[in-house]
Amino acid sequence: MPSLSSTVRDLIDDRPAEGIFRVHSRLFTDPALFDLEMKLIFARTWNFLGFEADLSKAHDFVTTSIGRTPVLVTRSKDGEVGAFLNRCPHRGATVCQQEMGSARAFVCPYHAWTFDSAGQLIGMKEKSAGAYPSNFDAMAHGLTPLARVGIYRGLIFGSLSEDVASLEDHLGPMKFFIDLAMDQGSHGMEPIPGRSVYSFRGNWKLQLDNGLDGYHLTTAHASFLEVMMRRRTGQGNTSANSLDFAKNMDARQSAFAFPNGHCALVNELPEDARRPFIDMEEVRSRIPEERARWVDLNYNTLIFPNLQLIQNTALALRIIRPLSPDLTEMHYFCLGAIGEDDDRRAMRLRAFEDFYNAAGLATPDDSAVYEMCQRGLAGGDGQWLQGYMRGVKSLEPGDSERARAFGVRADQSATGSIRSGFETQLHAAYRQWAAMMGDARMEAA
Amino acid sequence: MERVQATAIVRDILEQEAIFLEEKRWDDWLSLYTPDCLYWVPAWRRDGTLCSDPRRELSLIYYASRGGLEDRVIRIRSGQSPAGEQLARTTHLVSNVRLEDAEQSGGMLKARASFATHFYAPKDRKPSICFGNLRVKIVQADAQWRIKEKIVQLQNDYIETFLDVYCL
Repeated sequence: MPSLSSTVRDLIDDRPAEGIFRVHSRLFTDPALFDLEMKLIFARTWNFLGFEADLSKAHDFVTTSIGRTPVLVTRSKDGEVGAFLNRCPHRGATVCQQEMGSARAFVCPYHAWTFDSAGQLIGMKEKSAGAYPSNFDAMAHGLTPLARVGIYRGLIFGSLSEDVASLEDHLGPMKFFIDLAMDQGSHGMEPIPGRSVYSFRGNWKLQLDNGLDGYHLTTAHASFLEVMMRRRTGQGNTSANSLDFAKNMDARQSAFAFPNGHCALVNELPEDARRPFIDMEEVRSRIPEERARWVDLNYNTLIFPNLQLIQNTALALRIIRPLSPDLTEMHYFCLGAIGEDDDRRAMRLRAFEDFYNAAGLATPDDSAVYEMCQRGLAGGDGQWLQGYMRGVKSLEPGDSERARAFGVRADQSATGSIRSGFETQLHAAYRQWAAMMGDARMEAA
Repeated sequence: MERVQATAIVRDILEQEAIFLEEKRWDDWLSLYTPDCLYWVPAWRRDGTLCSDPRRELSLIYYASRGGLEDRVIRIRSGQSPAGEQLARTTHLVSNVRLEDAEQSGGMLKARASFATHFYAPKDRKPSICFGNLRVKIVQADAQWRIKEKIVQLQNDYIETFLDVYCL
């Protein structure tokens, strides 16, 4: 147990020479650490804000958040994508209450301060009668713009801090996976309409871990595998066309830890496994074969800190939104190719609903086990967790042969089968966590 | 058929479904549905409207046959679903049953109803609720009235941890 005089960094027991990697349970339970995460991680890096496809016209908007900070993302009348705090500078009310829509102006419901879709104040009720101090006009009255906004392949990111690398440098090898996803559609990809939003009573990093955990599949999702076994005989909801995971346990799995906290698990399924619902012929006609050949890969990825891009048969994107140390909100999107036909879109939807939905047959089991973890982790001085060492003996520093085949640069790689259930990819996330939380003292925490 | 009689038939089958779910009589519950039934819980769009096209928009649940409901029962009975460990105790209330058409054509009854389902598992230490309205089409099959179509409009779509058919 780290002593009280040690630093937050010491809550990650990272001893590569000895093969030891442990994470302390306090990371999941400590309210002071949670506050530090909001300040030192979420407020200091790029966060996913939304899809450019949701802002196709001037004045379109979506609302989201960075950590707990409410954010409004707009396309202005000039066509610029902007992101602002969704917070009236007068008394702090959110100026936009909807998740998505179109508005030329945002009128604060409290005192009617009014902002245009570029965040500028365009109306202050009874200003001239307000007897404001003479230097009031020198203050900025508009919505506070985020320090940085960047777009990569239709994904909008923002940062509360100016002091971040360029978005492309930050994403690094994750551009490979975003490209694979976005290359599925000749006109790009869009979030398919329909909210899939849920909460679980557990720490946000339980989802971070689980999103790249293949080890739990045959236990937490054993009931799903049983349903899939029955579907082999033509019974049940066969039209969901879900992946029959149990058939592919010996498929090759690669685990990658990338710079900046990003990581990925890649499963190369045999040719006869059910493929994702992609028009591969169309893809091959449009992009070079050396890229096209990976578009229907099976992958689970984390874009640090809280964005997960996943493909099994459907392509899914999840945002992990931390609300408190033991409460997390999930926003889940099924992605589809812009302009794809009804049949292909319906296939994506039925597979997504079957497995990923909070009303589906798999995600509820994940959420239920997070809550069991949160209950189990409670109390006392906590404990070192042993969930980050599967794959240590397979680790190669830097790139594996598979990393080179995909053309991604990794900090460390492991190669095995789905049965390996690698955990070493998560080292990237917790090393980044430690680096960003850095030398904050435990007393402060 | 008299309107009052048709309404009574619909109310009877909806109440029967509620009780089967409360008593976890899964086979009896499944038998209330025709094999080719539609069971659909559309998602809400982010702009606050309800999704209307299941081929192009997300559903919380969409089954074009009873097979999907059978999967649910398999999963519940497997004993291997952590979400179903300590299966929730539920109370299903259905009310406000109204026929949609004054004229019932082809032996099919169309109706709407309101529902509220309370559910609680001791491990969660708190009760939850799902509420909304539903539209059903009821037909006679094998000498019994059965549900041919059920479309559930779930009003509270901010899901706490999980949603399953026994929460509706």
